[in-house]
Amino acid sequence: MTFDIVVILMFLGAFSAYLISKASLKAGAYATTVFSLGALAVLLMGRSEIGSEFSVLFMNFEVTVIGWYFSGVMVLVYAMTSFFNSFWMDKMMYPGSYNFLYLFSLAGTLGLFFASDLITLFIFWEVVVWSSTFIIPMGKSRRAAVVYYTISSIGSMATLYGIMLVYRISGTLVIQEAFVPLKEDPLTATVVFVIFVMAGLTKIGIFPFHIWLPLAHGSAPHTFSPVLSGGLVKMGAFIAYMSVAILPAYEAFEGSLKIMGIPLQLYFLMILGAISIVLGTLMAIKQEDAKKLIAYSSVANGGYILIGILMMDQLSFAGSMMHLFNHAIASAAAFLAIAVVAYRTGTTKISELGGMIHRMPLTYLTYLIAIISLAGIPPMGGFVSKWLIIQGLADRGLMFMALAAFFGSIGSFLYVFRPLAAVFLGQLKPEHEHLKSEPLMMKIPMVILMVLILYFGVLPKWLLGIIGEIQVAAGIEPVMMSGNTILAVNGVLNTLNVFMIFGFGFLISLIIFLLMQKSRRVGLMDTYTSAEFIYTPELYHYAGAFYAPFERLYQNHPSVEKFLGAIAWKFHELGTVVNALFFSHKPAVTVFWTSVILVMITLGGAGI
Amino acid sequence: MTTNAKDVRKTWEKIADYFRAHSIWMKWYCTGCGAIEMPPTMTSRFDMERLGMGPMATPRQADVLLITGYLSAKTLRRVIYSYEQMQDPKYVVGFGSCTLNGGIYFDSYATMTRLDHYLPVDLYIAGCMPRPEAIMNSFDTLIKMIEKGEAKGWKHYQENHEWYRRNQLHSLKEVYVKDEFHE
Amino acid sequence: MNLVNFAYGLLLLLAAFVFQTTLTGINRKVVARLQRRRGPKFYQQFIDIFKALSKGSTTHGWVFDFGVIMALGGIMATAIFIPFGPLKAVPGMDNIFIIAYVLAVGMLGMAMSASGSGNPWASIGVSRALTNMLAYDIPFMMVVFGLIFAFDSSSLSGLAAIQREGGLLGWNVLRFPLGGIVAMISLQGMLGKKPFDSFIAPAEIASGPMVEYGGRHLGMLFLLHEYSTFIEVSLIVHLFFGGGATVLEFMVKYAVIYTFLNLVSNVLPRFKIDQAVTFFYKVPLAMAVVQTFLIIFLGMGVA
Repeated sequence: MTFDIVVILMFLGAFSAYLISKASLKAGAYATTVFSLGALAVLLMGRSEIGSEFSVLFMNFEVTVIGWYFSGVMVLVYAMTSFFNSFWMDKMMYPGSYNFLYLFSLAGTLGLFFASDLITLFIFWEVVVWSSTFIIPMGKSRRAAVVYYTISSIGSMATLYGIMLVYRISGTLVIQEAFVPLKEDPLTATVVFVIFVMAGLTKIGIFPFHIWLPLAHGSAPHTFSPVLSGGLVKMGAFIAYMSVAILPAYEAFEGSLKIMGIPLQLYFLMILGAISIVLGTLMAIKQEDAKKLIAYSSVANGGYILIGILMMDQLSFAGSMMHLFNHAIASAAAFLAIAVVAYRTGTTKISELGGMIHRMPLTYLTYLIAIISLAGIPPMGGFVSKWLIIQGLADRGLMFMALAAFFGSIGSFLYVFRPLAAVFLGQLKPEHEHLKSEPLMMKIPMVILMVLILYFGVLPKWLLGIIGEIQVAAGIEPVMMSGNTILAVNGVLNTLNVFMIFGFGFLISLIIFLLMQKSRRVGLMDTYTSAEFIYTPELYHYAGAFYAPFERLYQNHPSVEKFLGAIAWKFHELGTVVNALFFSHKPAVTVFWTSVILVMITLGGAGI
Repeated sequence: MTTNAKDVRKTWEKIADYFRAHSIWMKWYCTGCGAIEMPPTMTSRFDMERLGMGPMATPRQADVLLITGYLSAKTLRRVIYSYEQMQDPKYVVGFGSCTLNGGIYFDSYATMTRLDHYLPVDLYIAGCMPRPEAIMNSFDTLIKMIEKGEAKGWKHYQENHEWYRRNQLHSLKEVYVKDEFHE
Repeated sequence: MNLVNFAYGLLLLLAAFVFQTTLTGINRKVVARLQRRRGPKFYQQFIDIFKALSKGSTTHGWVFDFGVIMALGGIMATAIFIPFGPLKAVPGMDNIFIIAYVLAVGMLGMAMSASGSGNPWASIGVSRALTNMLAYDIPFMMVVFGLIFAFDSSSLSGLAAIQREGGLLGWNVLRFPLGGIVAMISLQGMLGKKPFDSFIAPAEIASGPMVEYGGRHLGMLFLLHEYSTFIEVSLIVHLFFGGGATVLEFMVKYAVIYTFLNLVSNVLPRFKIDQAVTFFYKVPLAMAVVQTFLIIFLGMGVA
């Protein structure tokens, strides 16, 4: 009975947060923290009640393992980010509404993950889309919200159409039963699959629907970007999972052409995932804004998650599920770190920053650990999940996906390192000389996220256990573990050993370092300058066009944005023509059309 | 107890000095024409690598600051800056008569005639210009000096820093110059 | 994992250090002979490293120190994973992907420390090094991917053992010649040897990431370089040349490959960084994709 209380409570919480905000903005912001932390606690305690069903009004819910897992990820990200809300209360135009919508969208996602019939699913989908649509323009740009809403509504309309189609065929809206008749009819199954998965793709930001991510993530309020990237994007993964697992796609497409054992329909989607990885990586490398950079990295990571989900196997699927969690917390942590910098300096442009480590070391550490995980380097969580995905790909021999995965992996070193070097390291600008360190309330979530990222990289047993349950529920072989060793068909990984040996190497290295003579501390400007005397730290900092030689290789790339822009422009032109022809204020045009109509009437009359 | 500790330190220093003597990384401060003598010294004919010597990119990495030519006021500032960026123990080698006594530019208004007024020179290589044989010969001497612990210029500079700084300021007014072209 | 493993690990680290550093010294001699010089003593590299460690140093803040420690620690940890011929410190941990990614810890640490110095040249060097990595790693990983698919194992020693079963003709470099060539070219890139050494160009960007290091920091970076060379060359020996049934066999193969690459390096000029990327994506990547395609779809050479 706990879960219906959570869903209802979150909706009530949203309204009460609004009312509290009317009394005191700060209190309203703290209310979002209290409510989301409460939801997190209830979710963690209610693990034993997985499988329970309940209904509220006409909406039916069922708590599945995967729903519980997704909502856990979502609530965790919301709860961690909500610590930051109070700092932006005086900077937002409608802070009360922000608090309301923040919790309202969280309630929507919870309802979405627990929904057991398609209409409930759709209602909550719309709740999330609408509430986030109104939050995004509270940041920098209204256009971002328009693009976000347009792309989202493609997803919404697709879902709605899909639901109607399914209902017509099977006569029921209960998720578990509605798709059963589709197995006999591969063609309709393909249509339904494509429609549903398209809704997922729009949310997860897969090529060609990726254009909203950088815009929305880049210009949303600093406190909402982590939620968008870490949380809401994962809704897409949920829909993609549903379309693959519940349909179930592998059974429905049994008869279609197969490439390396993957049905063509799924293979095509995997290619889209691979394109997203490459595209997200390339675009992230050339971004000048730290938030846009992480947003593009979300596109790339969305590709990994999608490929893993589509594989529906023992390794890659587990990797994908784990990556979903790892990416959620790591990208939330990275966005939060950037938010701290933005809070203190007022900018997220990479070239306007530098040397932040000397003012906010904890933020630097958070960002460092987050990007180590994003890039998939041990001993952080991101490594385990990428390892699983790549081992799974190697097992099936999907070489083009693997090519993209490798490119994304190595490419991520490039883009994640860039804010590290240019925002946190390098020369401190004179105008940032007197910045204060991060406030205590910001430190709390950052420390928690750091610990989580490291913990699940070293001891992923608990997480992989849940993922194993998800796999069993989806009818595939669960990922195997013995002790702390993950057993894959073609290799083993003992994360604890990796961590211990890493610690051992670090220890030896530290001993060597400490045995030798102490170093003399010098300032940042006392560097090798070819013996030139330089006194301008702001100019003595390598930040803009960091990978210029590499960027030059693909600077004239084709782009979906340009293509869509061209279409929009053509449409606009068409409108201008129509306007000029029919809605002109010039008397000559009116006379012309009047005479044409008169002539036509006369001629027509004559004809009769 | 104290003497024992001192002895251990001495042995340690001796070992370190052996390594320092047989691995000489140089920062060539090529101010004048002397630089032209370095390529033959480095390449096949004279092959300085066989003594463990080699050029390095920055003063941070280098052990020896090799100043190969005359020093104007502007150059000297940069030489001092480079020297102070080097890591202890560090050695200075003055190359050619320009660093000794100003060479053929001895009477110029802008030339610093004696390097060792400003920096602790461990070794001078005389000649205008010294041939590679002379360079190799003098580096042989430097190696022996370091091995015996006689090349103590860097310590001398630390101990008499005020004297050096006074000389530097006397000739240059400012070492770390702020706005050189409008001084 | 117990204390014995750690003790073995320490011994392996020592052995790897002595072996690789001696080999570097010998190679300096070989290169000197190539240029008709006498060359330094064969133990010159040891002198250089110990001298650097014995000197004083400067630091630009805690991240400058921490990065170096993290870099050397990460690389040493990776070196422990590498089987030294048949010897393994920690059994079951020589998964190729683990090694490839743990190696990145060291790279990241060094990059972080270099940028932390505040010197823009260091950042330029790092940006080039990372771009270089993006170029050479993908063809290499592609070939490795093919190998794992072919033999259903991603353990270095496992792959080496499979090769040794087939004798000399079982070596992957002969079974998959295209892949072997790609791996050798990529190894040249990994080692940062010419023509792919633009990130440490001493005359151009003042040795790039190394620009601010001196004393113990520099000494540790030299150690790091020896270990990363050991890891990278060992990878190729295990993956393509049958590893080693005995330590001696492994060392001989290792020495031959390393010396060969060094000789190649010394007769080549330097690529600009964008030329290197274009080269890697045009030639080795195409070869790697063809090789992997042949393995996966046609099963060529797997048998």
